[in-house]
Amino acid sequence: MLLPLIFILLLVGGAVLAAQSSINGRLGAKAGVIESSWLTFVIGAVLTFLLMFFFEPAQQATLFSVPKWQLTGALFGVVYMLAIVFAVPRVGTAAATVAVISGQLLMSLLIDHFGWLSNAVRPLDASRYVAMALLIGAIGLIYLSHQQRHRRMTSQPS
Amino acid sequence: MRHALILLGVLIAGMGLSVEAGLLGPLGEQVGHLSATLSIFMVGALLLSLALVFVPKRQLGALFKQPRWLLTGGILGPIYVIVLTLATPLVGVGMTMVGILCGQVAASVAIDHFGWLGSEQRKVDGYRIGALAMILTALWLM
Repeated sequence: MLLPLIFILLLVGGAVLAAQSSINGRLGAKAGVIESSWLTFVIGAVLTFLLMFFFEPAQQATLFSVPKWQLTGALFGVVYMLAIVFAVPRVGTAAATVAVISGQLLMSLLIDHFGWLSNAVRPLDASRYVAMALLIGAIGLIYLSHQQRHRRMTSQPS
Repeated sequence: MRHALILLGVLIAGMGLSVEAGLLGPLGEQVGHLSATLSIFMVGALLLSLALVFVPKRQLGALFKQPRWLLTGGILGPIYVIVLTLATPLVGVGMTMVGILCGQVAASVAIDHFGWLGSEQRKVDGYRIGALAMILTALWLM
């Protein structure tokens, strides 16, 4: 009984991400890419700080005691947010989402293959090569969809 | 051509996101998931604050002239993190990612198709359905 509930929760979690891209893209188009990315991170930091302050169980290690390289994730997060805010008004939510997901999955295949970030090595096998080809194909199709739409729009008398 | 470059940029940003997740998981195990998430938002907010100082024409005032619902982007991020933290121990990482990605892709296509959240309308076409099918197959193959 719990399982379907969790799956619904996960779908909502994913939908929330798509909504976030869309909302941030629109805000970025009106008030600037850096400005709206900044606001997203500030509100996120305030909320997570409150949540951590009241709900996080005590841990042995703290953010100040772990090796510094473990804290570099934010660099990637910021680049991602800037890219999304810039791209969504120009290519649409779905195209940006497909590109992000393909990038994520391609990179995780590479991380597994080379065992980067102290992960166990899982070499690329035949089915993973096919997966990579499909991901690149998906990006290609999204691009074609745009081309088609572009042609239709420019062929209509305005 | 410009469109292709933007897509390539977003693809690379997505690759970075995987690296972020790869760093965040182990960090969360050590210091707690909320603290790990806080480190991302906090460092990000500080870096972008620095960047704001050097932006030629700031439009911070314009941010708060928008309808309030446009400012909720920062609330949705933490919701996602909470969902992730709740679900992963119950159903495992694989199932969690599949659920999240399905929701994400389906919602993004719906947002474009219906023009929700004030976005420009982009109807579903054969190419888009093909792209969805390819992503789902890739997910299943991995």
